[in-house]
Amino acid sequence: MLKNMKSLRLIAAIAGCTVALTGCDRMLEFEPGDVILAEDAINTADDLQRMLNSNYDVLANLLNGRQQSIAELLTDNMARPYSSLDYTAVWNRETNFFTPTTGGLYTDFYYAIYRANVVVESFDLVEGLDDATRLRLEAESRFVRAVCHWYLVKMWAYPYGYTADNSHLGVPLRTDAVAPPSPRATVAEVYAQIIEDLEFAKANLPNENGPYATSMAASGFLAHIHFLRQDWGASRSEAERVINSGLFQLDSDLDRYEAGSDSVLAGDLINPETVFGITGGYFSVDGDSLLNDRSYAFRDNFRQDNNLNPQLTFSDDIYDLFQLNSADDRGDWIESNGVTHKVTRFDNKQFFNVPIVHLTGLHLLRAMSVVESGGELQTAIGDINAIRDRAFGADLNDLDPTSNAAAVLAAAREEYRKETLCEGWELDQMKLRGVMGEPETVRDAPWDCPGSLLQFPNSSTTAAGFILNDEGGCL
Amino acid sequence: MNRIQTLLLALAGILISSGLYSQTLTGVVSDGSGMPMPGATIVANGGARGISTDIDGRYRLDLGVGTHRLDYSFVGYVKVTREVTLAEGQTKTLNVQLETDAVLMDDVVVIGYGVQRKKEVTGSIAQIDSKQITSVRTPSFEAALQGQAAGVQVSQSSGVAGAGSLIRVRGVASVSAAGDPLYVVDGIPITQNYFLRGNSGAMNNNPLATINPNDIESVEILKDAAATGIYGSRGANGVILITTKRGKTGTSYEFSSSAGFSNPASLPNMLNTEQYLTLRQEAWENDGGTGYVWLPGFTSAGDSPESRKAAFEEAMLTSTDWVNETVGTGVKHNYSFGARKGGDKYNVYTGVSYDDNGSYLIGNSYERVSGRLNADFEPVEWAKIMVSSSLSQGINNRIDAAWSGGLGDAMSNALPYYPVYRTDTLFNADGTIQALPGDYYLYQDEWGGTKNPVAVRESKTWITTENRSINNASIILTPKDNLFIKGSGGFDYMHVREDIYNPPSIFLTSDLGNANRYANYVLNWNYSLTADYKMDLTEFSSLGLLAGSEFQRTDSYGYGIGFGDVTGPIFENDSLLEVANGQTTVNNPSQHSFLSYFGRANYTLKDRYFFQATARVDGSSRFGRNYRYGFFPSLSAGWVISDEPWFESGTLSFLKARTSWGKTGNAALPDYARFGTYSAPDNGILYNGQPILFPLQPANPNLRWETSRTVDASIEIGLWNDRVTTELAYYNKSSQDVIMNVSTPPSTGFTNRWDNVATILNRGVELSIKSRNTVGKFQWTTELNFARNYNELQSIGEYTPDAVSGGTNDSRVITGSPVGSFYLMMFSHVDAETGLPVYLDRAGNETFDYDNNERQYVGDGLPDFVGGMTNTFRWKNWDLRALATFSYGAKIFDSSSKRQLGVVTSWNMRTEILDRWRQPGDEATFPRLTLDETTYGLPSGFPWWNTSLFVFDASYLRLRNLTLGYTIPQIGEGKHAIRDLRVNASVTNLFTITSFPGLDPEVVRDFENAQDRNMSPNVTYLTPPQERAFTLGINMSF
Repeated sequence: MLKNMKSLRLIAAIAGCTVALTGCDRMLEFEPGDVILAEDAINTADDLQRMLNSNYDVLANLLNGRQQSIAELLTDNMARPYSSLDYTAVWNRETNFFTPTTGGLYTDFYYAIYRANVVVESFDLVEGLDDATRLRLEAESRFVRAVCHWYLVKMWAYPYGYTADNSHLGVPLRTDAVAPPSPRATVAEVYAQIIEDLEFAKANLPNENGPYATSMAASGFLAHIHFLRQDWGASRSEAERVINSGLFQLDSDLDRYEAGSDSVLAGDLINPETVFGITGGYFSVDGDSLLNDRSYAFRDNFRQDNNLNPQLTFSDDIYDLFQLNSADDRGDWIESNGVTHKVTRFDNKQFFNVPIVHLTGLHLLRAMSVVESGGELQTAIGDINAIRDRAFGADLNDLDPTSNAAAVLAAAREEYRKETLCEGWELDQMKLRGVMGEPETVRDAPWDCPGSLLQFPNSSTTAAGFILNDEGGCL
Repeated sequence: MNRIQTLLLALAGILISSGLYSQTLTGVVSDGSGMPMPGATIVANGGARGISTDIDGRYRLDLGVGTHRLDYSFVGYVKVTREVTLAEGQTKTLNVQLETDAVLMDDVVVIGYGVQRKKEVTGSIAQIDSKQITSVRTPSFEAALQGQAAGVQVSQSSGVAGAGSLIRVRGVASVSAAGDPLYVVDGIPITQNYFLRGNSGAMNNNPLATINPNDIESVEILKDAAATGIYGSRGANGVILITTKRGKTGTSYEFSSSAGFSNPASLPNMLNTEQYLTLRQEAWENDGGTGYVWLPGFTSAGDSPESRKAAFEEAMLTSTDWVNETVGTGVKHNYSFGARKGGDKYNVYTGVSYDDNGSYLIGNSYERVSGRLNADFEPVEWAKIMVSSSLSQGINNRIDAAWSGGLGDAMSNALPYYPVYRTDTLFNADGTIQALPGDYYLYQDEWGGTKNPVAVRESKTWITTENRSINNASIILTPKDNLFIKGSGGFDYMHVREDIYNPPSIFLTSDLGNANRYANYVLNWNYSLTADYKMDLTEFSSLGLLAGSEFQRTDSYGYGIGFGDVTGPIFENDSLLEVANGQTTVNNPSQHSFLSYFGRANYTLKDRYFFQATARVDGSSRFGRNYRYGFFPSLSAGWVISDEPWFESGTLSFLKARTSWGKTGNAALPDYARFGTYSAPDNGILYNGQPILFPLQPANPNLRWETSRTVDASIEIGLWNDRVTTELAYYNKSSQDVIMNVSTPPSTGFTNRWDNVATILNRGVELSIKSRNTVGKFQWTTELNFARNYNELQSIGEYTPDAVSGGTNDSRVITGSPVGSFYLMMFSHVDAETGLPVYLDRAGNETFDYDNNERQYVGDGLPDFVGGMTNTFRWKNWDLRALATFSYGAKIFDSSSKRQLGVVTSWNMRTEILDRWRQPGDEATFPRLTLDETTYGLPSGFPWWNTSLFVFDASYLRLRNLTLGYTIPQIGEGKHAIRDLRVNASVTNLFTITSFPGLDPEVVRDFENAQDRNMSPNVTYLTPPQERAFTLGINMSF
């Protein structure tokens, strides 16, 4: 037994040495390479700025024609897509939770929202952050958050006013960067937050800030948002704030998609009527690689000069609209063989800036708000004619100054539809008309048929209790 | 100085002690037929080390004066114990005959960090010897485990050369973490990553493919917690211990070779041109079309009736059997040579092998060259050095398979009216010639890819080369009797390099081709130190103690590089690597480590009561400080009832009961899953010329081990002097905190998150029977094993079934159903009046609406029971061995059927579709044909008809292997005699009895990741069937 005890002591000693030699937690510490650990990611104001830049980066990847194409497909503006199964599903208004294109769009909007929330929640991580910088960062972040929530609620929920108190389901409202998923908030709640965020941005951002969010950009979006809320006065007020700022001018030509070149950053060629937009990409100096491509979805979906069969072409309805007046220079945006009406608006452009909120839209919004609110028609007529002068030539197709309200509204709506072709704004108009009780159908189906709403992606439902949209009913 | 003194004293001791032994015992060990047995072990007085008989079965032992107990043993034979008394200076001869044994109770089995007498084993361990492994010719050793052990489900690989099998020990207990058992080769947990190249070419790399089956001495499969507990956090899904051959006393050589050929075990029954066009025309007319139907690749729906007619008539002139164009006869041959040499202080085993395994898929083969050196050196009695080293290379001549092309194309987009070669001249728009008669006919699939399986195969170069070296060096010190201190260091190196060259001819371009290389390296270091001590506490009781620690570190990294405008693969143009314009992607190193402390105590009372306790503490770099270390204990006991003095039975010759409880874990998840990460500063992404920073992955600092609590009980019985032996086992394994890579709602800002979520139950029974039905001149032995496993995903927290999916395989996590359940729209029948499909919603109501929200559990790929039966017949020098395997109750989702037997599209179809509805009143299996997916209620543009119509019963009985052998015991005399010369002829997969209408009811498709591998067993998607192989072989020793 004594021998055994000696052996056991020897084993214990060896074990002790082994533990002492190997008992080092550092041997279990490996960190991923070429990435930053979350706890080390944000330490300086520069980190916050780069994080904010990523908000714009996501936004740019959404508004590079992806969102606009989907929105257009839900309107009367587009013909059946050439071959894309996903675009066809959108056009048929039968997306389901397996439709990857719309699922990806939805997901990306929340990427931007999450990142915006991270910026807002990370100020305390940065020592010595000055108040002005902090305020700007928060205002820009909340601007992005608001814009993303708005695009989401417009496409995945019935519009504002669909129920009297807007208690119908909107989309998940995210104002923090915590992990638990959120259920769908009501449309009222979503709009309230959007307006609060944009008002904050409007109050705390400068009027000029390069291609980034500005106070004017916030007003521009608020003009659109209040318009959909049928708050005509507020919409007009916000639009006029931008129009009267003197910071923007209507472009003299019809092309507000400014292209860069191999030596010129497209961001330096921002169109004068762009209130808020996305800066496009540019070629590297050797011309071999495309950098910062922010217009690919427009280019790849619409261009017909380099593609025999572009995915997206205009509908007969649009073709017929332009056939009514051959003097309209915007008719050149269509290349038709009588059957297929291809889009030329983006021909010969490889990469370009994308105006989102622009002066043309705001003029026409104001015109419509004026009419809807019973205001002075001459302001509205002036707005419309400013647009028509550019499209037809000065005074060649002006709206009669004596036109009645109905005619002015019709003209404003028609110009708005033409000017925003491929931009996705017509979807807002269509839904607003539906909410206002006007007879509105899209390709023979009620404007609010269940499939008119995009379906949430399947991943939304992985947490129990999430309520999906109804599907189908539009064919 | 002290060390030198100690060494000198030890050497002196050895010399002195050896001088004490002037008594000698000699003899010959032979088998039941009198044939000498080289390599049999003789152990004197219960010592730790024994000697081996030489090539002629002879042995010589120097012993002290007195009475000695001698144990004679050989794997597969009953151990014999003899006592002999030697007077001073006496020499005695003792010849011993060993009988084959069914029970092998005194055999030694390999357990974690040691060996144990089988009688003493309190855990559930299945042992498979080298003969069982090499008796079935398989492309990779693990496939030979099929049907050999109860509770070990082995699903054979597809017909693609080099593809691996899927092994599950007592069911699957993981969702997103890898659910494969831990493989340990000579003590080293080896690299077992199946996804170094994802599922490139519809194939996962097989990390076990380079192991030479002929090098393996035995395989032990540890199943319950008592057996796997010593591997703690790595043992939840079972452990497979592979022990390679070592040298023995004397010199002997082994040589084996085989040659054969293979064909597919079954062939797809695709439509010919006339059938396809007839059905397509019918679909067109059902949809209201008039005139001739439009044809993919020839016309479109908008073409004029005249154009469609002309195309139809032209199509009728060609009927290509694309299956025949992609399938042939695989030729295979292999050669293996091994040599053993041993003396008093050393022994060596060395083996080399070459294996060329051509599959029946034309152009596809896997070549393996391997070498192994295992050497033991015992310079002094108290120290022994052991070295194991293998070096192997696998060269896989790849082809596209399944969804990637080849036979997969022949079963899908290669329509029978497409010719292999053009018969006309094709002009470009500008009048220039694009293709001449005799050139490949290239067509486009529905995604715009340029296709022609023959053209791609013959034009494309695709070689995957794997270099692998597994090495281990140990030193065992015996400072005191029964105390063994072992230090080991291991290094497992894996380098997998994939080279692809796509020539311009398959892209319809006049540019040069493009070449890509993908290289992956995995370096795996392992160090362990153990101390093992055995002591007799009293006359009737003994205690064995093991304590140890282990550290393992694995580094993985790699790169991808691509070149355009080149004329051949990179390995033919190494200078390309020096050119700067290659597009290179470097995979960041991924590293993980384990640091472990473990112990085991074995208490034996009266040699019939056995108790064991194990404990292991594991720390892993994959978990944060909150849950870095896990504690995994086990307790077990065994009772050999038949050794009780009061036990008397004329029938029962052996009776043992054992039971165990234990906790094991699983940490096989990605190395950095716990970290919240952001993009690197130099991520290269700019917006408006400014850099950006963005989050990549959410943090989960509380990520922790999956843990399984297992209760096991079994009874082992020997009847009629062990002529029949059987083991019946029951287990209940409850796995908690099962890791899921959960698909999270986008509103969280991320799409996935690793978390401990699920609870899984595996409960089952296992039965093994071995019966020597007849003995004597005609011997007939039957071995049967049977396992029933019940698997249930008991909880997935607050998540829904879509939270985790099996890739594209429509399998989901469904509470109350097994892991790997198919989640599809339930198909009911074809409406006899309209010919439309009728579905069932979740409430069981019939509906014509196809609604993804009504998906439900429609079956799963886990069998109710599996097993194998081996019958071996011996008469004189002849032997016949038949291995049958069976599986009952699993379903198979024939995922390709949704296109082959659904909407008429640009895919060819199978002949089962001929049983379709044609007119009111028809009772048909398949609905009315249509070109319009909306006819079946599908969204327009989505002809992927995911319904239970294509979930089939996958039960089967397969004659896995039939081998006829003839053995010549000895040719010649003396040292140059050839012994055990055996020639054999075998056939693999001779027949399969099944009701499955598809290609193969036993399927392992390519998986996207470990989660898919767990979630999607028994899903087939254009997966090539297994091969039927005919082989002639020869084995000999000399």
